[in-house]
Amino acid sequence: MISSHSTGRRPHRLAAAGLVGVVLVVVTGCSTQDIPAQLGIPDPVTDSGRTIWSLWQGTWVALWIVGAFTWALMLGAAVVYRRRRADEIPTQTRYNIPIEVLYTITPLIVIAVLTFFTWRDEAAITRVSDDQDLTVNVVGYQWNWGFNYVDDQVYDAGTPTDLATLYLPVNEKVLFELTSPDVIHSFWVPSFLFKLDVVPGRTNRFEVTPDTEGTFVGRCAEMCGTYHSQMLFYVKVVPRAEYDAHMAELTALGQTGQLDTGRTSDEAQNQGNTRLGGQQ
Amino acid sequence: MRDSGRLFAGIAIFFGLVGVVYWVLADEPAGAAFLIFTGGLGFLIAFYLLFTAKRVEPLPEDDQEGELADAAGQYGFFSPHSWWPLPLGFGAAMIALGLAFVAWWMILLGAALLVFATAGLLFEYYRGEFVRN
Amino acid sequence: MTILDEPVTGAAPESPAPRPMTKGQIVVSWLTSTDHKVIGNLYFITSFGFFLVAGVMALIIRAELTDPGMQFVSLEQYNQLFTMHGTIMLFLFATPLFSGFANAIMPLQIGSPDVAFPRLNMLAYWLFLFGGLIVTASLLTPGGAAAFGWTAYAPLNDAVRSPGVGADLWLVGLTLGGLGTILGAVNFITTIVGMRAPGMTMFRMPLFSWNILLTSVLVLMAFPPLAAALIVLEVDRQFGSLVFAPDVGGAILWQHLFWFFGHPEVYILALPFFGIISEILPVFSRKPIFGYKGLVFATISIAALSVAVWAHHMFVTGAVLLPFFAFMTMLIAIPTGVKFFNWIGTMWGGSLTFETPMLFSIGFLVTFLFGGLTGIILASPPLDFHVSDSYFVVAHFHYTVFGTVVFLMFAGFYFWWPKLTGKRLDERLGQIHFWLLFIGFQTTFLIQHWLGVKGMPRRYGDYFADDGFTFMNQVSTVGAVLLAVSTVVYLYNVWITAKRGVRVGVDDPWGWGRSLEWATSCPPPRHNFTSIPRIRSDSPAFDLHHPEISGLEQAGGNLLADPTAELGQTIASDATSDKEG
Repeated sequence: MISSHSTGRRPHRLAAAGLVGVVLVVVTGCSTQDIPAQLGIPDPVTDSGRTIWSLWQGTWVALWIVGAFTWALMLGAAVVYRRRRADEIPTQTRYNIPIEVLYTITPLIVIAVLTFFTWRDEAAITRVSDDQDLTVNVVGYQWNWGFNYVDDQVYDAGTPTDLATLYLPVNEKVLFELTSPDVIHSFWVPSFLFKLDVVPGRTNRFEVTPDTEGTFVGRCAEMCGTYHSQMLFYVKVVPRAEYDAHMAELTALGQTGQLDTGRTSDEAQNQGNTRLGGQQ
Repeated sequence: MRDSGRLFAGIAIFFGLVGVVYWVLADEPAGAAFLIFTGGLGFLIAFYLLFTAKRVEPLPEDDQEGELADAAGQYGFFSPHSWWPLPLGFGAAMIALGLAFVAWWMILLGAALLVFATAGLLFEYYRGEFVRN
Repeated sequence: MTILDEPVTGAAPESPAPRPMTKGQIVVSWLTSTDHKVIGNLYFITSFGFFLVAGVMALIIRAELTDPGMQFVSLEQYNQLFTMHGTIMLFLFATPLFSGFANAIMPLQIGSPDVAFPRLNMLAYWLFLFGGLIVTASLLTPGGAAAFGWTAYAPLNDAVRSPGVGADLWLVGLTLGGLGTILGAVNFITTIVGMRAPGMTMFRMPLFSWNILLTSVLVLMAFPPLAAALIVLEVDRQFGSLVFAPDVGGAILWQHLFWFFGHPEVYILALPFFGIISEILPVFSRKPIFGYKGLVFATISIAALSVAVWAHHMFVTGAVLLPFFAFMTMLIAIPTGVKFFNWIGTMWGGSLTFETPMLFSIGFLVTFLFGGLTGIILASPPLDFHVSDSYFVVAHFHYTVFGTVVFLMFAGFYFWWPKLTGKRLDERLGQIHFWLLFIGFQTTFLIQHWLGVKGMPRRYGDYFADDGFTFMNQVSTVGAVLLAVSTVVYLYNVWITAKRGVRVGVDDPWGWGRSLEWATSCPPPRHNFTSIPRIRSDSPAFDLHHPEISGLEQAGGNLLADPTAELGQTIASDATSDKEG
């Protein structure tokens, strides 16, 4: 009475061959440079940006392979196993332990590899040493940015209609200290492939070395009120000489000293950042 | 009941472990408290279910060979319809609104309605025609 | 051999035709109902109404983002729009939808006459309705609705920076609704633990009911911290306490509290629908679900892990232990992958047809896979540093949440409509609905991945012409219009079916139902069953209707508790005719 799927063998092999073909095409047809997996990621302009960029590429290669395989399986099954006769009754398979173990272990291996590279790269990116060439305190406030050049003791500040520009000397290691006097904002420079929040009540720190000259846009990336979408700024990476000239310009404008960082007390700001993902 | 008890016991153990690991690694009090108390939630339910499972006979629903006849007889009392949930919900809503506007009169009225409707709900099937002597 | 060939004489016992109810009597019967099926319908209708409201908000958002500059609303209004869109979709549509499906289907699947606490069930609905109305009413206040995003970060959420009663109504309304959700979860757990039919052991329970159980456990774990956070914030705002003050770390404390709720919340949204697809695939593949036990353990793992990963929403705050949360988050990919392959394994080697429930299920598989992959990107802090809080995240969560909740909501509606109402939704309109939805969805959200990676943050009401975001936003808006059209098609389908639909008349209109709800009439009687077949596997209705396949004949068992009882259809099969009770 049970008529099993008598044409079972051939569709299995056909489908399998199709799958392998798809996977091979995907894997062999792409080099890391021109994969559409880039998804439009900006070209990085810092050391940590390049680390992130290669992790992005590598991860997407793995993900596209997994995706292509799985999509091929599900769409292949939909095509290959569509009903051909109204009274078909397929074999009522309820489980297959070896296959199930295989597709539990395989994702585990993929995840283990990704975790290793993630841990390695995040440790490198979030490391804060004490040998930076200069320090900048970024103050995020509603609704623009202030930049305290700590070593030169000058500052610059912006408004939504007169956007602030941060000057950085190329190829020098910068320590960023991020503070806020009001609400949480986020300091995002897409070309750095990096953002970090400014959180009232804590000081966040990161270090980075920009290695490409140019002007790069920055945007606030944490909902902070009415003019959140107007809170833009620019980062200009320039030769040292031009940076020094800009510091002199700010001095001439009378913008000496430092903006109020927004830190409420030394204790509050020190207490807030002992747990930077375990680095400090 | 034993199987569901074991499910909650698993939850209790998992979160107890993860909570301790997190406490040691992250030294962050909010997360550690969450995880450990979530383990406590699992423990509470697991304890009740496992303890009860040991004390009662195996239930027909846990019997692989359970027959419908095993659950014969009155299954339970199911309220056919009831007006009381509506004023109960309305009282709770009045308290909430009162809090949003800091209107003490609304909070008090809502609390009064809540208490009244709770009593109504609880005693609905013990009053009037349901009084047992 | 299949029951579709049999005309039906009717499942209900003979009784004199009741007098038709007046409109007032119908209203009263709904207001005082303690019937889980009626309450389930109330949840469905109300949550779908909120879905439409939030959908209109999404259309306004997309209209505004089509071009640089503000054309339709102000920046402040825009902030209210996306706050309320998110709040309504998550709290007033998707979460109550879980209660709706749980109410409508779960008691039928486990063979119980109702839920454990019927009046509490109705109370939970009222708390949802009143809470939802309070939250939505905030749009009508002079200061407008809350405008800090559905995540309501501190200190933006304080009385100084978000003045106006809109935020307070948001807080108390959600507290009320959250309480309703918790009470519903208590009800569902108690029902599943204590009211299964004889023979329905835990490992014979349908996967949908398993998922309801685990979702309810998640609700118990996640909603109390939310309620605590909401109440404490309201007290901060109204009475001047300083729990969330920034000087004492309140900004990060709020995030911990919110996300300890917020991450399990998205699994609360997803798990019931993972249960729905586990019911649909076997019916339209004519095979049992592949790897039942694996699916149960995978779902338990997902639920447990989901409570331990909350701070992956906080990677860019600089305040959390990155390696721990990165690892735990990546771990969730493993049981999710297991579920995916089990679903594919159900289709594999089966005999597939593509009625509307199956179309929506496959649509979910295609869509959610991509959402899961982008989730792995977000799980890695170095990669998250770039894409966090950008349109990449917006794309990710729409792929996962819309992909799961909306696609599988419609799959569940088309699948169970005959069971709940006695009529099947129109199949051709359903196909048109599916394709418009699928194409509309991909058009709207696929391109948002590029938009985010390129540098457009989320929650931006405006952007500049030289940002290079314009074209991508315009593509996305076209998709949104398609989505709106698809919804109109669906609403027309519902209306035309109510007006002119044909009653199915049989217990199992799809022919290959497995779980117990397909062994009672369409719609079921007041307390669900006039008789329950013997339960000896995870597919009792299938064993009853297809005994020759289920193999139990060979084991010598008998499926009918009382072979003389009326069932509503007869089984015309040579194999069973000589079995006796």
